[in-house]
Amino acid sequence: MLKIIAAVAIVFIMAMVVVGALRAGPRLLPLTKIIDRISQAAGIVAASLILLAVLVSAGNAVSRYTLNASSNAWLEVQWYMFAAMVLLGAAETLRRNEHVRVDLVYGSVSNKAREWIDLLGGVVFLMPMCLIMIYFTWPVFVQSWEINEMSSNAGGLLRWPVKLMLPVGFALLALQGVSEIIKRAAALRGLEVDEIEYHTPLQ
Amino acid sequence: MMELIRDNLGPAMFGGLIIFLLIGYPAAFSLAAVGLFFGFIAIELGVIDPSFLGALPFQLFGIISNDLLLAIPFFTFMGAVLERCGLAEDLLDSIGQLFGPIRGGLSYAVIFVGAILGAITGTVAASVIAMGVISLPVMIRYGYNMKHATGVIAASGTITQLIPPSLVLIVLADVLGKSVGDMYAGSIGPSIMQISLFVIWVAILSVIRPDHVPALPIEARTLRGWPLLWKSLRGIVPSAALIFLVLGTIFTGLATPTEAGAMGAVGALVLAMLYGTLTWKLAYEAMTSTMRITAMVVFILIGSRVFSLIFQGVGGGLWIEEMLTGLPGGQTGFLIFTMVFIFFIAFFLDFFEIAFIIIPLLAPVAEKLGIDLIWFGLLICANIQTSFMHPPFGFALFYLRGVAPPEVKSRDIYLGSIPWIILQLILVAIMIAWPEMVTYWLSKTTIMDPSAVEQQFRNLGPAGGDGGTPTMPNFDTSQPPKFN
Repeated sequence: MLKIIAAVAIVFIMAMVVVGALRAGPRLLPLTKIIDRISQAAGIVAASLILLAVLVSAGNAVSRYTLNASSNAWLEVQWYMFAAMVLLGAAETLRRNEHVRVDLVYGSVSNKAREWIDLLGGVVFLMPMCLIMIYFTWPVFVQSWEINEMSSNAGGLLRWPVKLMLPVGFALLALQGVSEIIKRAAALRGLEVDEIEYHTPLQ
Repeated sequence: MMELIRDNLGPAMFGGLIIFLLIGYPAAFSLAAVGLFFGFIAIELGVIDPSFLGALPFQLFGIISNDLLLAIPFFTFMGAVLERCGLAEDLLDSIGQLFGPIRGGLSYAVIFVGAILGAITGTVAASVIAMGVISLPVMIRYGYNMKHATGVIAASGTITQLIPPSLVLIVLADVLGKSVGDMYAGSIGPSIMQISLFVIWVAILSVIRPDHVPALPIEARTLRGWPLLWKSLRGIVPSAALIFLVLGTIFTGLATPTEAGAMGAVGALVLAMLYGTLTWKLAYEAMTSTMRITAMVVFILIGSRVFSLIFQGVGGGLWIEEMLTGLPGGQTGFLIFTMVFIFFIAFFLDFFEIAFIIIPLLAPVAEKLGIDLIWFGLLICANIQTSFMHPPFGFALFYLRGVAPPEVKSRDIYLGSIPWIILQLILVAIMIAWPEMVTYWLSKTTIMDPSAVEQQFRNLGPAGGDGGTPTMPNFDTSQPPKFN
């Protein structure tokens, strides 16, 4: 019985968020500018990590075979950077509307319908997903932090920074999700919003 | 009622997935949301234990700590630099003039350059756009048949999927749990076969329909003799060096696929520098576009891991397995069914969605039926390739439409793609009939076992060498390269 009440409450909260966004959306637009800047900044960090990771990985491979010098730290820092570029870049990718969709329906409906899909998808899919992920990944980081966990490989790195990336990445994604929800709600209220149109990613 | 739901959670989840994906919200988030939603229902119904979801952080950590996936940004970055550095333009121009004097020469040039670009850039869009901008106007000007010209360009652009070192094959290797080296080695045969099929088709056309593929008239050849040869070499030699750098180090076991990707990316930057096109703007654009593609791909993987964790938990995997192993015809029946299924699903789903959602469902069944997973993966790869060519949604046709001169009708592009789709399906059929095409190369280059690699290097040493001779490179065998 309690669980049915909880389920009803969750649906009610989602509905309130949608209504709230539609009512307050236009007034909250300045907030989206701030959030968008945060995502952009994280995106720049993520992009720079790509070049850095390329250089570290190539350098490590070359030095292993020429100077016979390599260490687990150099190997591990590569996937630390990979984790950071993915998780810090996801919010910026969402801002640029480049997460791939199945656009069979989406591609053929009106702009208004697309805004509704994004608004409801943000509230029903994205936000709960991010919150649940933060809920599950945060304790893993805390545990690692408390025991000062080290890599099990000799000469490896401290583990908590990469474990921190997971909750941080989902939090940034959730934040950008809020921005997108507000933008779509404002657009549905008839405001001019600088939305980025969806294109199937080039491949 | 509850009983009914409990026993059919797998099918219900699959149905829910299709509906939620069709809505059109980004697939990564829909997948994770469907997974979590059904996860809570399954816990409520007592199908899975509440502690089951506790495995989630470990699944996520497994994805970000997988250093094979690091090859995704590396190869993407390499392609992103190369597609912007002017190499494609140079190659098309020079090879076009080199082959131009013979009938169908421009078509051969497009196929040849498509294969080179496919190997080094790995993106269909980049190849098709470069060829559509440079070769298509030349082909139209000198009287090539419009349908043939658009078809050969779109088809040659899609070669990139199958030809190593391809990003698609890395992702497939990871999903199927095979080594990337084996995947690349296995793809050599099918790639050669595909290029041969294309070349043979052009040769046939030049005999039965010479007016469709005329030779270039003398005044169209602005370059000849040494300058032409020099320009051609300037395009081919660096590309070949880059391909060798990447593939050679993987096949000989000198570098992991990830490191080979990183060296390829550095090589691409050097090549852009040699071409004089390396600017901060180019590098930054390549970095940001690589970042977004990587985040997009890995998030689909995250979403699909969440989904499949729950899907396997509620017994969905078993449901799929029972359904597919029950198909008539055993191995062949299963292969034909999956190939037809993937051919059609590829109209709607993008490669990464197929790789992360569909293939994990099919692979265990294939393995149970005794199908070699590398062969299976390459069949899927060759099959998905055709999806770039299906009118009217095929991406290759779409990109070509975007850059083609206005006198090219959409109808020509659509009709022109048909012979090439048939050629690609012939390739799939040949691959099913002769698995040796894949496995022949495997047995030759399977030296992926690090201890075997080490043994080989020992054998290279002087007779009776104890490995301590000063001329021998001393490998740090405490950390063998990983080939997962």
